[in-house]
Amino acid sequence: MIEILLEWMSHYGVLIIGVTTLLSCLALPVPSSLMMLTAGGFIASGDLTALPVISFAFAGAVFGDQIGYHLGRGFGTRILSRLSRNPKRAKLAQKATDYLRKRGTVAVFFSRWLVSPLGPYVNLAGGASSMSWMRFSSASFTGEAVWVLFYVSTGYVFADRIVEISSLLGNASGALAAGTVTILLGFWLRHSLRSGQARKPADNSD
Amino acid sequence: MKRLTRQLWEKNRFGLIAFVLALAVSLFFILRLGIFWIYWSDPAHRLQPIEGWMTPGYVAYSHHVPKEAVIEALGLTPDGHFHKTLDDIAEESGRSVEELKILLNAVIAEKQKAGE
Repeated sequence: MIEILLEWMSHYGVLIIGVTTLLSCLALPVPSSLMMLTAGGFIASGDLTALPVISFAFAGAVFGDQIGYHLGRGFGTRILSRLSRNPKRAKLAQKATDYLRKRGTVAVFFSRWLVSPLGPYVNLAGGASSMSWMRFSSASFTGEAVWVLFYVSTGYVFADRIVEISSLLGNASGALAAGTVTILLGFWLRHSLRSGQARKPADNSD
Repeated sequence: MKRLTRQLWEKNRFGLIAFVLALAVSLFFILRLGIFWIYWSDPAHRLQPIEGWMTPGYVAYSHHVPKEAVIEALGLTPDGHFHKTLDDIAEESGRSVEELKILLNAVIAEKQKAGE
């Protein structure tokens, strides 16, 4: 699979990079990080030029974010309103959406690059909580710029060690994302101990 | 600890299960990161083997040999071949990728020996 994508990259060039970053923002399992690292390597070797690589990767990622956000806005709000028929759930859903509206920009920005495996879900949640489009987009633009520039330039610098860097970054990114989820769940557990509430429903997005 | 677990189990069962799972996944990735780190700190593993998706330019760049030497070893003319992969070149010239790899490895070894 990876060999095929890399082969496509040298055939179709930058277009495939844009498609990959778009799909990865929709939580589809494509090796977008490896693609960007390799593209950086190809820039170093003179097979690709930097500007188109960066532009297509960025455009794909930003477009993917918009699709996720609008999906969340379309379906997510409907799901939320159905959940909110139950008063207890309504309270929880309200809390989660308030939180995203207030702190959403930070969540969107960091889930683009630092904890990127969480990105697609933050897009959906952002849309579902009716986070302002402007705020979502500005965080998405800046965050994706960091993501793309980081991976492409890392590939450029470590062109002769792409496989190594890719495996290290992949695991570090997985550890960071899972670690973040663990910490957030830890906060939730602490909260439920303190509030002494009864069991909460399984389907909340806090 | 036991009491706390029981308390959490009673108050927020889903949260506790999710927490334990997320913790396990985090540890899994940290462990893998450690294993890869050790693996890659061995310089012998760092040599990136030549693969079919690589272009002559990429092979040259990543093995620190002149591009011209790679182009020449493959029996190509210096222009117009940079964006082709070794798979393409093999197919067009009726050779196998393995053959090309042997050729290239020989050139790389020779150039590195000469200290270029």
